[in-house]
Amino acid sequence: MALELLNRLAMFLALFVAQVLILNHVHLFDVATPLLYVYFAITFRRNFPKWMMLVGCFLLGILVDIFSSTPGLAAGCMALVAFAQPYLVERLASRDSAVDMEVSLKSIGIGKFIFLSGVITFFYCLLFFAIEAFSFFDWLVWLERAFTSAVLTWILLMAIESVRSK
Amino acid sequence: MRNLLDFLIKYHHWFVFILLEVASGVLLFQYNSYHNSVWLSSANAAVGTINQWESGVFSYFSLSKVNEQLAERNMYLERQVSQLRRLYGDLTKDTTELQRKELAFLSQYQLIPAKVVDNTVHKTDNLMTIDKGRADGVEADMGVACGNGIVGVVYLVSDHYSVVIPALNASSSRISCAIRGRGYFGYLHWYGGDPSVAYVEDVPRHAKFKLGEYVETSGFSSIFPSGVLVGKIEQVYNSSDGLSYKLKVRLSTDFSCVRDVCVISDKSIAERAALMQAARDSINVKQK
Repeated sequence: MALELLNRLAMFLALFVAQVLILNHVHLFDVATPLLYVYFAITFRRNFPKWMMLVGCFLLGILVDIFSSTPGLAAGCMALVAFAQPYLVERLASRDSAVDMEVSLKSIGIGKFIFLSGVITFFYCLLFFAIEAFSFFDWLVWLERAFTSAVLTWILLMAIESVRSK
Repeated sequence: MRNLLDFLIKYHHWFVFILLEVASGVLLFQYNSYHNSVWLSSANAAVGTINQWESGVFSYFSLSKVNEQLAERNMYLERQVSQLRRLYGDLTKDTTELQRKELAFLSQYQLIPAKVVDNTVHKTDNLMTIDKGRADGVEADMGVACGNGIVGVVYLVSDHYSVVIPALNASSSRISCAIRGRGYFGYLHWYGGDPSVAYVEDVPRHAKFKLGEYVETSGFSSIFPSGVLVGKIEQVYNSSDGLSYKLKVRLSTDFSCVRDVCVISDKSIAERAALMQAARDSINVKQK
């Protein structure tokens, strides 16, 4: 458990630094911004203490918010994703899978991981940009930003995951 | 108690989640100016809607009291309106109001406006001079009226002046009149004396009318169209032979201060009268 927590902390810091120092400044075609820190919420293992997931994701979100000058935005979205992730994992987990199954390409399979990461990433980006805009007046712009950011985030996420799985 | 604790332990992450979301919400609306302003305006709208609904409910329950107050106010206002109407009628009747109506009525005919340059009211056979003559289209036997009602008939015409026989001419003035709305007609005659009183004679005894009703021209002559105001019935007498009524009429025109008159030069009146006369003549010839 301690090792696991250390691993989680290392990922926490790495994602935070990457997001704040590098990825926050990436605006592809003026619409796409990678929100890679959502990877932290996706990779929690099955039956990880839910309250810890919630608090961890919330803290990561708050830190990103502080450096993005959007207090409460990422924190709220990350908390929601952290709340939903265990239920999604349970849905995707096979009956014979381990109780503390890791969520990775190797353990749940490519298809399921793609599905899980895709759904969470897309859902997160939709929510994030919806709360950021706080209006559906320009719903096309909202969809454009959410979709392109989700695609970019997912590509990066899959790249990191494929490297981790080797 | 144990069940409650078990429930709380089992679903503790829900409470953590709600707490964290609330904290995020507070941070979001507190420290982001755009979200803060949107939140405030939405909150105002929501609070406003609730307040409106609340006041609607409370005002519904106080409707009976409001109804009573409205009924009282209504009665008071109605009383005031009728008082004001009476006052207005007392102040304006037979003067400006009547004048405007009369002028509006006369304007449907061809009129030649004129001014009275000479007038008498104290003689038995009074005459009036107006400043329009032949050059202006005035001809003899044209009717003359003013804003208050009938004046008289053109008698003599020169190029630029005309002499009018007013209604206040005992020997020559006989204008055909009728009681407004009733149709019973007679002839207006002035006997001298009070310049504001004349008499309508030969009104049939079966005629039904009331004191205070108006008398106007009947339209049975070639001089005046029907509906030109003559005056108001003040008293009813029997005629000397007892076969008809004699109505004492308060003339609407104040002959002592009449200034602006109009000569009725509508040719259709004369044409109509001429046609009627031709019909009468031909009937007389056939009978003979």
